[in-house]
Amino acid sequence: MFVFIVRRVLNLIPTFLLATFLAWFVIEIAPGDFASQFAFDQVDPNKAQRIREVLGLNQPWPIRYLYWLRNLVTNFDLGTSMVSKGDVTTLIYPRMVNSFWLLLPATVLTFLIAIPIGVYSAVRKYSIGDRVLTVFSLIGLAVPNFFLALLVLAFAVYFYQSNGWFLIPTGGMTSSNYSQLSLWQQVLDRGWHLIAPLLVVTLSSLATTSRIMRGEMLEVMGQDYIRTAKAKGLSENVVTYKHAFRNAVVVIIATIGGLLPGLISGAGTVEFVMRWPGITPLFISSIFAQDVYVVMALLTVLTLFLMIGNLLSDLALALVDPRIRY
Amino acid sequence: MATQTPQTQTGAAPSRRARAARAERQGASLSTIAWKQFRQHPLARGALLILGILYTAAAFADFLAPYPERYINTNNTFQPPTQVHFRDEDGRWSRPYIYPMKKSLDLQTFQTVWEVDTSQKYYLKFFVRREGIRDRYVPFPVSLIPLKLRQTWDIRPTATLHLFGVDDPTDRVKVHLWGTDDLGGDVFGKVLFGARISLTIGILASLVAIAIGMLMGGLAGFYGGWLDELILRLVEAIDAIPSLFLLLTLSAVFYPLGLPSSVVFPLIVVVLSLIGWGGVARTIRAQVLSLKERDFAVAAKAAGASNWRIIRAHLLPQTLSYVIVVMSLAIPGFILTEAVLSFFGLGIQPPATSWGLMLNTAQSFVGVSGLGDRWWIFIPGIFIFVSVLTWNLLGDGLRDAFDPRSRR
Repeated sequence: MFVFIVRRVLNLIPTFLLATFLAWFVIEIAPGDFASQFAFDQVDPNKAQRIREVLGLNQPWPIRYLYWLRNLVTNFDLGTSMVSKGDVTTLIYPRMVNSFWLLLPATVLTFLIAIPIGVYSAVRKYSIGDRVLTVFSLIGLAVPNFFLALLVLAFAVYFYQSNGWFLIPTGGMTSSNYSQLSLWQQVLDRGWHLIAPLLVVTLSSLATTSRIMRGEMLEVMGQDYIRTAKAKGLSENVVTYKHAFRNAVVVIIATIGGLLPGLISGAGTVEFVMRWPGITPLFISSIFAQDVYVVMALLTVLTLFLMIGNLLSDLALALVDPRIRY
Repeated sequence: MATQTPQTQTGAAPSRRARAARAERQGASLSTIAWKQFRQHPLARGALLILGILYTAAAFADFLAPYPERYINTNNTFQPPTQVHFRDEDGRWSRPYIYPMKKSLDLQTFQTVWEVDTSQKYYLKFFVRREGIRDRYVPFPVSLIPLKLRQTWDIRPTATLHLFGVDDPTDRVKVHLWGTDDLGGDVFGKVLFGARISLTIGILASLVAIAIGMLMGGLAGFYGGWLDELILRLVEAIDAIPSLFLLLTLSAVFYPLGLPSSVVFPLIVVVLSLIGWGGVARTIRAQVLSLKERDFAVAAKAAGASNWRIIRAHLLPQTLSYVIVVMSLAIPGFILTEAVLSFFGLGIQPPATSWGLMLNTAQSFVGVSGLGDRWWIFIPGIFIFVSVLTWNLLGDGLRDAFDPRSRR
């Protein structure tokens, strides 16, 4: 097991290097750079050139990638934002925390709802309940989540216009008077703002997850040992929950890592629409400003996050499933 | 596939009975079985019908839309949908007619209020010819030829026929079935024009993605060794970056150039396919790995066929049914991704339009206060939903049709 973990972790290193190199390459082939916006400065025609020199943008991009990599590896330095002139790490840290507070409850809620739904539809295959849930998941797969978020916002506004008070807020993470509230009011305020984005993110990731759970459960229930268990005279409940469910859930655990990218991307669009101050709005504004280090830092951190997520679910699978031995 | 056998290619199309008899002699081909299975799938058949309608509407958008694609009218922003009346004041059936809409400012709330002006009826005319320079268009099959080629070949057919218009000689009364957007553009027409981009981008992107995936997967599986290792690592690295963020970074490559929409469209196709080919490459690689050890591949090698010929003529055609299914299931994903990209303002750029871009209007121009009562700007979202849903259903139907395990 130890050897497996070590080999798996070592395997991440070339992937990580290639991924960051690719990301850097893609950023660099974009025409112009941060200094381009000063190219037509009336007062100082050389301004763009001087800024390039100060920021080191006049060096070839592979060299700058190596510098960036060295700083990252030696002292976890992700560089300095060209727009805000601040340290990138201190810039993105609060954003990541905000995103985390949306992503974590959404993931937990998704699995809490999706697993029972999947088990139900698998056990009652082709019943009316299963068919209704199938229709819902087809709909859920087809609704773009930014559209759903827009609809929820529209509903919030409509509700306010017809009733004079807000049932759910129209975006943001806190109210404008947040700093004057007492601690528990602050907690309530945050929870109130979390409702709408959490709802949208969960609903849009529910369809996929419950379908996977249903498929896994059906797969397991078709196995020979389930027939054996039934033939032994075990009750339907024992067979379903002790034999089938446990084995199906194992696979679901392994897919959490694989579902994370979809969740992050899905939550990203919702953050953008509902003005949740997470990483995606920052990412988009940095893309438009060609703030290379912020873009790069976010890509790096997210890539690391995904890779670790995949690693953990692989390890969890290896721990739970006795057939996997390395 | 039946269509590739030499018998069916020779001469005129054989009669249905002759074809059936031949199929019986030869044993049914894969495509015959698949088609038979597919026809038993009511949802997939319905989906095919709806998609057919959507694509036809997109093809003839110039004819169906009352106003040209770039029509704007800044005096007429966010006008609510025009109601078409079919009964006159006495409740009798009449030719369809509309009442013009007038806007005024509510001096208490300073909001624009739209009112229906019932003083005069305007009848709708069908199959009208609008001769204005902007109302002319290039009819459908010709419009697929790129503009440059049309100019060099000197093909300039123009059409002036529109499905409907207002019977108003002064041309001041407009009919907006689904209201107008932030620039006074006709939402109904724009949905049709936007369908061209939104619906074709998915097909093109999945074609390119599958072409790249088949090439890379075929090479990796056939040659193995360092090439295999390299391609697998590349796929892994692309997979490691969250797709939304990679996509946004990639589209930022061409965003600053301010390119015309005729260039942006193929670029988006490339961007979408660049992030989508990995999964195809992996599966094709695995299939080629097992296929190349089969007898027919070994026989071809013994007969002296070149490597390229073995890959192209013997291995890749074997993966065809998989590719058809993957393609039909990839298209809705690409439609959604294009919508997200355009919604973020990094995809299709105005004056071209797509459904995602139209929803961007809902996000950025309307502001939160206008969201509550301007419901018609959400109509493009319903079209994204319907097209993704129907493509998914069609893909499910095709998968069931081609998968021997799920045959009924």
